[in-house]
Amino acid sequence: MESVTVIINGKECIAQKGEFLIDVAKRNGIGIPHLCHHESLRGLATCRICIVEAIENGKKRVVTSCVFPVMRDMVVETNTEEIKGMRRTLLSFLKAEAPENDQIELMIKTNGVGDYSRFAMNHGNDCIMCGLCVKACEELGCNAISTINRGITKEIATPYEEPSSECIGCGSCAYVCPTGCIKMEEGSGIRKIWGKEFKLLKCSECGHYIMSKEQYEHANQKLEIPAELICENCKKKLIAKKIVEIC
Amino acid sequence: MSERIVKVCCGTGCLANGSKKVLEALRAEMEKRTIDIEVVPYVKATGCNGLCEKGPIIKIYPDDIAYYHVGLNDVQEIVEKTIVNGEAIEKLLYLDLKTKKRIRSHSEPDFIKKQTKIALRNIGEIDPHDIHDYLAVGGYQALKKVLNISGDDIISIIKKSGLRGRGGGGFPTGVKWETCQKIDRFPKYIICNGDEGDPGAFMDRSIMEGDPHSVLEGMIIASIALNSQNGYIYIRDEYGLALENMHRAIEQAKEFNYLGDNILGSEYCFDIEIVRGGGAFVCGESSALMASIEGKVGEPRAKYIRSAEYGLWGQPTVLNNVETWANVPVILEKGNEWFSKIGSPNNSGTKVFSLVGKVKNTGLVEVPMGITLQEMIFDIGGGIVGDKEFKAVQTGGPSGGCIPKELMHLPVDFDTLEAAGSMMGSGGVIVTDERTCMVEFARYYVAFLAEESCGKCVSCREGIRQILKILTDICAGKGQESDLDLLAVIFETVEKASLCGLGKSAPNPVKSTLRYFRDEYLEHIRDKRCRAGVCKDLTEFYIDESLCKGCGLCKKGCAVDAIDGSKKQPHSINQSKCIKCGNCIDICKFKAVKVR
Repeated sequence: MESVTVIINGKECIAQKGEFLIDVAKRNGIGIPHLCHHESLRGLATCRICIVEAIENGKKRVVTSCVFPVMRDMVVETNTEEIKGMRRTLLSFLKAEAPENDQIELMIKTNGVGDYSRFAMNHGNDCIMCGLCVKACEELGCNAISTINRGITKEIATPYEEPSSECIGCGSCAYVCPTGCIKMEEGSGIRKIWGKEFKLLKCSECGHYIMSKEQYEHANQKLEIPAELICENCKKKLIAKKIVEIC
Repeated sequence: MSERIVKVCCGTGCLANGSKKVLEALRAEMEKRTIDIEVVPYVKATGCNGLCEKGPIIKIYPDDIAYYHVGLNDVQEIVEKTIVNGEAIEKLLYLDLKTKKRIRSHSEPDFIKKQTKIALRNIGEIDPHDIHDYLAVGGYQALKKVLNISGDDIISIIKKSGLRGRGGGGFPTGVKWETCQKIDRFPKYIICNGDEGDPGAFMDRSIMEGDPHSVLEGMIIASIALNSQNGYIYIRDEYGLALENMHRAIEQAKEFNYLGDNILGSEYCFDIEIVRGGGAFVCGESSALMASIEGKVGEPRAKYIRSAEYGLWGQPTVLNNVETWANVPVILEKGNEWFSKIGSPNNSGTKVFSLVGKVKNTGLVEVPMGITLQEMIFDIGGGIVGDKEFKAVQTGGPSGGCIPKELMHLPVDFDTLEAAGSMMGSGGVIVTDERTCMVEFARYYVAFLAEESCGKCVSCREGIRQILKILTDICAGKGQESDLDLLAVIFETVEKASLCGLGKSAPNPVKSTLRYFRDEYLEHIRDKRCRAGVCKDLTEFYIDESLCKGCGLCKKGCAVDAIDGSKKQPHSINQSKCIKCGNCIDICKFKAVKVR
């Protein structure tokens, strides 16, 4: 693999050609703020918070670091006044979109926020349409949810906003949501999500509820060998036990 | 007596005006009268003639007579006088408003005379349903020619011609093809973008409806240059006639082996499939269009790697707009030198514009690049309707901008329009007059974009939503002076942080009107006044007694009986009843209705 040199905020970093800028920065201890980026769910670039200034062949431009592939030697600045200013404006947009959200507030605390006093505020829903939930569902091979409509009326929903037969109740969507706005309720062995109820299965060792029946079946189908019905904790314990036995 | 041909325009505009019925009536009438006529004329349906507002249009050859606004009542007279006796019917001829004279030939009016037709060369002349008509005017000759030259030569000709993408981007077509050709990865795809979505633009539609084979021929030529075997034409589903005509053309081209396996006995194979778009404006953006063909949600992707390298299904792809494709066969046939001599430096060839709005001659016009806005609007367009005062011209669709009357001397080309804060776009030209409020005009486009943005990026979706909120406030008299500075801050982020062209250009309508009509914004904010009388909350109409002749026209036209006055006496408007529709100001012949 060919490597290239990227100077990020003055620090010389070696990158593999085609690697995303945000990863190169992270590996070198340079954090770039972001909301919609997740290491295993790539290519969304919807929140725009991770914008940086890139200089190639003497040309300066604003790029989105989570989807920008490094192809040649370049210079990158992640915190110029211009970039910080735009990030504040973007956060003012997000504030208007999800005014009561803690995660957005947290981000504003570190990055500041632009003037949103004249904005139309969108109360009552914390979704910022980043699309991570849809991507997670798609990657799992379920495609139970997707974006519907477009522009300012865009939403995340199941088909026809009815309980989806494709949903396996795994909760991955809720897990990856950066603003925690996907409602998932659990109680007495039942999980409720996207208007559908799922019966939960218990860990064969400790008896805690661990996953929905549909999720278990989906995993079995994908793995082609029966998956174990066991929670993460018990799994660790069992492995540790085995190691002790061997030693 | 030589053979007579009657060409009936069956473009969308004329069809809407009833040309299908005229066509059928003409055919029926002639059938009835075969005894009187020596040679039964051939009645043919053609594509759009451009002067849509004057439809239905029929042209009679070899007499070279053109009739406008033809109704069913005229059919009998046309057959009796013109077909049987070769006489022209005065009242149906084109009326030149400048000279007040009737014009006999379709090629004579300024509207037509000042045009140079390349992309529209066959439209209105040939029957789009019949491949023989296209062949008769030299169709598929360029294809035959390129079968004997190399792909490099084809690309070199396109490059040297200076052809730039007619969909709005203005990217050099030859360079795009070359980039794709150099990548050694197959399959490669060829796409025609027929998802025309700009309000008021209909050039691509007219080409697909009126001359579908020229688009196919252009695509087939590119397939030979790039060694591609699959092409797609993405047509918005609202374009029923375009879909029908393109489908038929593909079938005919297959029959004649211009498409399919071993084209005309060569080793080249190429097939074209039509994909129907769902009507999302954003799907005109190339990467969103490709996503849509792939069956995904029509959202753009970051194009740090170009589509020529990583396009449809991740394969090298060349996407061009309908008009660009229609230019290709002519360039190959007549040569790059011929093409590059037309137009202006770095902007060779012609561009098709749909000239609409408050202009007298609305329709499709094709002009050499570099023609001034003045010539286009006043010579070809014939000036402003009702001789109201011209205000500005909007070009480039929702992502374009407004150019004021002071800049009418500017040449129309990709670079000049961009420097003036607007853009060429796909060629929509909307003319506005004194009755257009520039703030409301900008608000209209922002509202359009708010709905038509794909909604993926925060900067575009939310940025546009807030711009719209602020503009709506200004139009309602709730604006603040600081809003203009806030808008500038929002614009910077929307332009620089958005992913695709839609977001990056979304502030243009507001930016350009702010640049040239800042006074109007300030008037809305400070004086709570809309000088055009459009923003209802800021408008009050009154009648200037010294100018009112008491003709009663406004009184008659008032839908809510808000105008009082006796004949020949100055009238007055009852403000409590007035709904500010503006009908009175529009119909007053003495400019007596004013905006306070």
